[in-house]
Amino acid sequence: MTTRAAERRAIHGSGRNYWRRLGNEVRRDKWLYVLLLPGLIYFIVFKYLPMFGIVIAFENYVPFSGVIGSEWVGFKWFNSFFRFPAWLTYLKNTLILSLMNIVFFFPAPIILALLLNEMRRQRYKKLLQTMLYVPHFISIVIVVSITFVMFGPSGIVYKATQNVLGHSINYMGSPDTFRWMIIGQTIWKETGWGTIIFLAALTNVDTQLYEAAMVDGAGRLRRLWHITLPAIRSTIVLMLILRMGSVLDTGYDHLILMANPLNRSASQTLDVFVYQQGIQQGQFSYASAIGLMKSIVSVTLVLTSNKIAHLLGEQGLY
Amino acid sequence: MKKLVSVLLALLLAIGMMSFASADEPLVVSVLLPEFTMDVDFVAENNPVLDAIEQATGVRLQITWAPNENYGDILNTTMADKDLPMLIAATDARSPLIINSARAGAFWDLTDYVNDAANYPNLALGDPQIYNNISVDGRIYGIYRTRNYPRGGAYYRSDIAKQAGFDKEVKTIDDLTELAEALAKVSEDTYALNMCSYTAGTISFITVAFGAPNNWGVDENGNIYPAHLSPAYLEGLNWLRHLYEIGGIDPNFAQISTNDWNDIERTGKAFMRFDCLDNAYRQQEWFESNVEGVTETIWAQVGPLAKADGSITIWPQNPGFSGEILVTKSVKEEDMEKVMKFIDWCNSDAGISLLNLGVENATYWVGEDGYRIDISKLPEDEYNEKSNAGKQYLHDLNQLNMGVSYHAVEPAMKLSESRQRFADLNVELAPYAVLDPCYPLVSQTNVDYGAQLSPIIADAAVQYIAGIIDEDGLRAAWADWAAQGGDAMTQEYNEAYHASLGK
Repeated sequence: MTTRAAERRAIHGSGRNYWRRLGNEVRRDKWLYVLLLPGLIYFIVFKYLPMFGIVIAFENYVPFSGVIGSEWVGFKWFNSFFRFPAWLTYLKNTLILSLMNIVFFFPAPIILALLLNEMRRQRYKKLLQTMLYVPHFISIVIVVSITFVMFGPSGIVYKATQNVLGHSINYMGSPDTFRWMIIGQTIWKETGWGTIIFLAALTNVDTQLYEAAMVDGAGRLRRLWHITLPAIRSTIVLMLILRMGSVLDTGYDHLILMANPLNRSASQTLDVFVYQQGIQQGQFSYASAIGLMKSIVSVTLVLTSNKIAHLLGEQGLY
Repeated sequence: MKKLVSVLLALLLAIGMMSFASADEPLVVSVLLPEFTMDVDFVAENNPVLDAIEQATGVRLQITWAPNENYGDILNTTMADKDLPMLIAATDARSPLIINSARAGAFWDLTDYVNDAANYPNLALGDPQIYNNISVDGRIYGIYRTRNYPRGGAYYRSDIAKQAGFDKEVKTIDDLTELAEALAKVSEDTYALNMCSYTAGTISFITVAFGAPNNWGVDENGNIYPAHLSPAYLEGLNWLRHLYEIGGIDPNFAQISTNDWNDIERTGKAFMRFDCLDNAYRQQEWFESNVEGVTETIWAQVGPLAKADGSITIWPQNPGFSGEILVTKSVKEEDMEKVMKFIDWCNSDAGISLLNLGVENATYWVGEDGYRIDISKLPEDEYNEKSNAGKQYLHDLNQLNMGVSYHAVEPAMKLSESRQRFADLNVELAPYAVLDPCYPLVSQTNVDYGAQLSPIIADAAVQYIAGIIDEDGLRAAWADWAAQGGDAMTQEYNEAYHASLGK
């Protein structure tokens, strides 16, 4: 930290000196800054100004009274959440789903990208890539419907397992299978799309390195291990750090679509809680408070994992 | 140049005059209503029904339709906007957002209008008990939408039952058991009881028939307790569990969408259902017009069900009303009288008939005998044309019908056997209806965690019926519910209940 601060001071100077330098720079490159302006205005108007709405998390917000007129209740909603005995269940469900997502879904696009990278026929590879992107554009409602048709009690997969195992597995109606179904659907839908960023990173690998390795007698696996993977390591770390920021995000639409009375216990996550309170119950303040709490945790996780990445000698986010 | 300016000024003045001269223009009232008719779009222009309303009241309705399926969600997001429609149909009069908004002054206080029998004679005819049920802090903010109590009930295929060897009237729970067991034996692929993922109605019907309270009960000491603690609740669940065990219920009922509920009966896969009783005559009418050879009543409606000790309790399906019509502050103070006159008119004889039937020869037709024609009996082309007109112009305007004056809809239709039976049963069953004593009460725990707590009980019941958990598992779920806030809720309801009695 101290070294980085010193570094910054060396570059920008400190205090008044810093502002004077900045002023000079702006004057020098004024047209560049003018170019920056639309983006800056966009962020202020659409991202920063709406953030004042966060205050409703500390109010008993009634739309008719408005943000300013509503009663101020401080940390009431936060207390209310932690007084709810089941809040740990909601957190647990969220974390389990998220962890499974990181362990099983996160590596999937990397593996697929590496496989694609090994393909010789470029035209075939391009065709395959395009086909792999398609599921991303299919609405989750459709994905759930397809799953239901296949895995539901009259579906082909259900019947097949019944014939092979001798007993049926209730894919769609048990809390044990619920999470696997969610992860499976996510992998099916998003893996192809997720390869884009890794494939882009792979194009930056210097082909001379491969040639040199080949001359030295390195096989495919050796080349993969010593050249390809190190080349995209920083991208993987970057994606992982970003992923940490959404550890508490499970989404709610997917889970609500898949939930029924038999498996609901596994579907109750923080995002579902926010939906139940905010949209179903109309408790906007309560929902905002939980959302705010999630965001604070997310920011903390991103900063922490970025720090760890620095300590391990990676470039990280910034 | 000067000339041009003066011409322009004159023109502007003329336009200004025109807008001032709008005293005779109707008052435009915006309304948010739930929509059930999804296959035909509502037509607002040159709509004979809206024209008739305008002629009678000087109010031009401007309706926003929101699909009934997620009306609650849409209502909540609408309420998040400051610019509200003038009239809102709130399907749940007790939702926290409605109560909070009423307290914050989002709606006009209608208490004085309701009590002003001289100027608003129809509103004054409403039931004071129900007005009390929907009041917030003792003030009335909405006009409730009347529903007949005993819409909940059981109906079954009498022809199939006869073939299965059951040929008598169902008068006791034992008869119902006998009927269910007979229907369960009909074949391997068919089921006795039609159940789907919406189980609340089925479970309430059978548990209340066994003597359990409706959601909340009052014990002999005058204290509130949750329905599942009544032994009759477990008896009701056991009844369903037994039927499930002997193959009388589709093993996958919990995963069947409510959209398929009617089709299961229409395709002959199940023969009995516990639900809104009016669905019985709808199914009957569907069979008459779609299945060849059906002329007699094949969907029988079950009357009062006696328990072993002879007493009768029935689940009323609703608390005598379904939500309310709210008047928001988007209505200007000077327009309030006109709007309230309009609402009063909606509850008059003419208003009720217009909102339910529309305009003669546009959306309904009267035969030579003076009765309204049942268009479903007409030849297909004529039926399509007439039903289309009804869907276009009348659409779901009956959602605005409050009917607090209990005026009948005129002209009446000559009732079919099935509809007559339903009308008779409504009268016959009403005295046995078990009401929820906590309906008008507010529990903060329910407001805060209701959405999380109620599925615990409901899901456990489904799992118990399906044999996934045993009685210990069921009791564990109940204990879980109690620990997570159920006990607090019971206590809060008790306090509110005793406070309301002391008043």
